[in-house]
Amino acid sequence: MRVTAFTQLITVLAVTAVVFILPVQAVSFILVLELALLLYIKHDRMTMAAIGALTVFTGMMILLQLLFQSSLEVAMIGGLRMLVMTMAFLCLLAATRIQDIAQALVERFHMPCEYAFMLTTALRFVPDFLTDSSATLDAQSCRGYSNRGNVFKRMYSYLVVIKPLVMRAVAKSDTLALSMELKGFGANTYKNMKKQELGIGDYLVLTVVIILSTYKFWVKYL
Amino acid sequence: MSNYAVEFKNFHYAYNGGELVLKDINVSVKEGSFTVLLGPSGAGKTTMCKAMAGIIPYYYGGRYAGSVEVLGEDTKGRRVSDIAMHLGLMLEDYESQLVSLTAGEEVSFSLLNHGFPPEEVEEPTKKALEDVGLPGRENYQLDELSGGQRQRLLLASVLAVHPRVLVLDEPVSAMDPEGSVSLYKLLYKIHQKYNMTVIVVEHNLDYVLPYVTDMIVLQDGGVVASGSFEEAAAAAYEDRELRRILPALWQVKLNLEKRDGIHLGMWRNTKDAIVELKEKYGRAEL
Repeated sequence: MRVTAFTQLITVLAVTAVVFILPVQAVSFILVLELALLLYIKHDRMTMAAIGALTVFTGMMILLQLLFQSSLEVAMIGGLRMLVMTMAFLCLLAATRIQDIAQALVERFHMPCEYAFMLTTALRFVPDFLTDSSATLDAQSCRGYSNRGNVFKRMYSYLVVIKPLVMRAVAKSDTLALSMELKGFGANTYKNMKKQELGIGDYLVLTVVIILSTYKFWVKYL
Repeated sequence: MSNYAVEFKNFHYAYNGGELVLKDINVSVKEGSFTVLLGPSGAGKTTMCKAMAGIIPYYYGGRYAGSVEVLGEDTKGRRVSDIAMHLGLMLEDYESQLVSLTAGEEVSFSLLNHGFPPEEVEEPTKKALEDVGLPGRENYQLDELSGGQRQRLLLASVLAVHPRVLVLDEPVSAMDPEGSVSLYKLLYKIHQKYNMTVIVVEHNLDYVLPYVTDMIVLQDGGVVASGSFEEAAAAAYEDRELRRILPALWQVKLNLEKRDGIHLGMWRNTKDAIVELKEKYGRAEL
């Protein structure tokens, strides 16, 4: 049973809202579910690294809250909520192709196609950008760039890498725009794809999402 | 219907706030020819390519006079993507011209944009990938392809809409010699198979020498010589600066023709040259 990108997006958005409604036990249960799902979909080193980084980041958040005089309980719950929210997005990205997400955004949420296309282009140019940055770093190292000294000094000297990198990116984006113009990018781009029809699985998931998001309401009156 | 693929009529162009880049261009490219566009850097070759595709003046603005006709129709007032259905343009930086995440999407992108239904797109996509020597790679991610393969992928995406004219701006400037030779071999195959007009900007004429039929020589924004390769090369040879960018083999040939007042044939490669020199002079060694 496959679930379309639209349902997945709705679910993720619902999870980010639901963590504020549901009791802590339920939120922790969602976290366990998410972890299991994520590891079922993908269990390579990248996923592990992402989970690790998220955990560290959550720890930092908790520390920060403690620093500002919150009680330990509030800080822990806050951290948990954030972890659940971000993990939901991680699941979404692991499970769905970014093209499908973009298509769902245009078809169902009526996002302008230019913005949706930005999602795919950003992903497309990440490797190119990394290659460029290492090339620029090499080139500037040859001209005497070094990352010694204190943090501010390093940041300042790193500007010599950033400047040409930005220039290069701008030049590339010009070519990209031309290329898109030549290939007729426009309103048709997303209209003319295979429609993402909702199936039984979608309706099932959406029902569960609706029940969970209205939890506060029916727990009160039923 | 004229039988010119591209025709420039009194075309002048200047970028916004700049000086004239192209001056009074009157030149035409015959349909079905393999034309090379030659000239020192800064002569306006790229600008000319962009003018053929209608990007100039549509995209860049600027001042212009005269007209450019593609397959008998003026490019003025037409959308760039509509012109691209008849005239495919490949710019120099091929990496940043790829817009999608997988090879199949890249090739079908322009077809889908022009309103072909998704079911009808699969077949031409497959065929275009086969034409450029990447069969069955529809689901490959872009970073799974090497530099040369990416360039071929771009070529496939341009060919997918079956343009009648193909314009390439320095396609091999970032490639190794072997890759360059094989790319031109591929271009020639496509040129023969679909009887497609090919216009290519190339500095190193050795690569195109085996296939070229016509040549346009540009200098300082003006056309110095145009027409069949032999005529244009002879005209370019008269200019001291342009002489140097002709292939070494042809410099020898034109020099001999001038010195001895004879007429030599179309030298496609060293072998042709040796055969003819043996005939005319009785000796020739490598």
